[in-house]
Amino acid sequence: MGGYRPTDATGVVEHEDVLYAATLPDGPILVLDGIAGLIWEVACEPSDDSVVDRVAELTGAEPGDIRAEVERFLDDLVRRGLLRPIAG
Amino acid sequence: MNESQVSVPLQVRLRFGHAAVQRVATAAGVDLLHIKGAAVTPALRPEGYLGSDVDVLVRPDHVDAIDAALREHGWTLYSTFEHGSPFGHAQTYVHDAWGYIDIHRWFPGIRLRPDQAFELFWGDRHAYEIAGVACQVPSDPAQAVILVLNAARSAKGARVDVITVWQEAEPDRRVEIARLVEHLHADVAFAAAAGGLERFRHDREYRLWKVVSDGGSRSAEWWARIRSAPTTWAGVRIALRAPLVNVDHLAHRLGRTPTPLDISVEFVRRPFAAVFEGVKGAGRRLRPRRVVR
Repeated sequence: MGGYRPTDATGVVEHEDVLYAATLPDGPILVLDGIAGLIWEVACEPSDDSVVDRVAELTGAEPGDIRAEVERFLDDLVRRGLLRPIAG
Repeated sequence: MNESQVSVPLQVRLRFGHAAVQRVATAAGVDLLHIKGAAVTPALRPEGYLGSDVDVLVRPDHVDAIDAALREHGWTLYSTFEHGSPFGHAQTYVHDAWGYIDIHRWFPGIRLRPDQAFELFWGDRHAYEIAGVACQVPSDPAQAVILVLNAARSAKGARVDVITVWQEAEPDRRVEIARLVEHLHADVAFAAAAGGLERFRHDREYRLWKVVSDGGSRSAEWWARIRSAPTTWAGVRIALRAPLVNVDHLAHRLGRTPTPLDISVEFVRRPFAAVFEGVKGAGRRLRPRRVVR
């Protein structure tokens, strides 16, 4: 899995160490607290490694243990129109 | 991921609100400028106060277009130009996600024609990024003028802005601000907040800004507005508006659409309230819960 980037409709606000993302102009606002915010940031950083591998490295988890949850979360963000995969 | 189950801080909602309105305006081809609150250049508001709503100044010819576009994207009308404030300058909408937004068709205190004033601001605008969206904002001197004019209606409330953007401004910036105030014909209202209002005691708007900036009863404010009207007909129209029931505010106070009986009762109640005000002075004001600024 490669990286992601916010879509043209995405707005992002960081407030007191919490990320908030919203589809503009209709909403809703999503609260990306804790691990959700970490996954968002990792997903949007350019890298040759997969998002799952990088999140696993940062959290000390086994990639196999978190793969399903991380991918489900990213798919959900894509479905909501907040992120889109970077081709290639 | 949490959606709607947790409260989103007001500061966050306001930033998204500015960004959302800019997106709507851009798509609809509407010219608007973000003023006050989260759109203010940080150096002008070092304490970071963001206000409680989103304020934008719309090109007067584009008011109908932004009204239609906002409704299309989930905003509902909260109060109208006619009933939102005694000045009739702004209309309020509310959105489930972004909260309140005030659409200004002109700004109180500016006597230059609204379309000309907007063009003056628009010509010196720049983009200010809010929530990742390039929002159009007036120049820093123009923002300073708007903050001071806004403070003039705040009855001592927002005077910290006057200190920051005017009293403590560098000499060059004060020259820019003073020149803009002159171009906008906003000298009386500006003086009401910045000082020196007595220099305008023979101006037809003097009494209005004296009452508004010092704080006074609603009836005193209406009298001042009638006296400051530029023409006899404008004064008559204001006088006729004064006793009318503000249906928008009544609806919000009741929590439902007022019935004809509600409006009739309110119509009878208001003159008594005005008499009470006359006796008690400014001690008690029958203000709506949310006032357009």
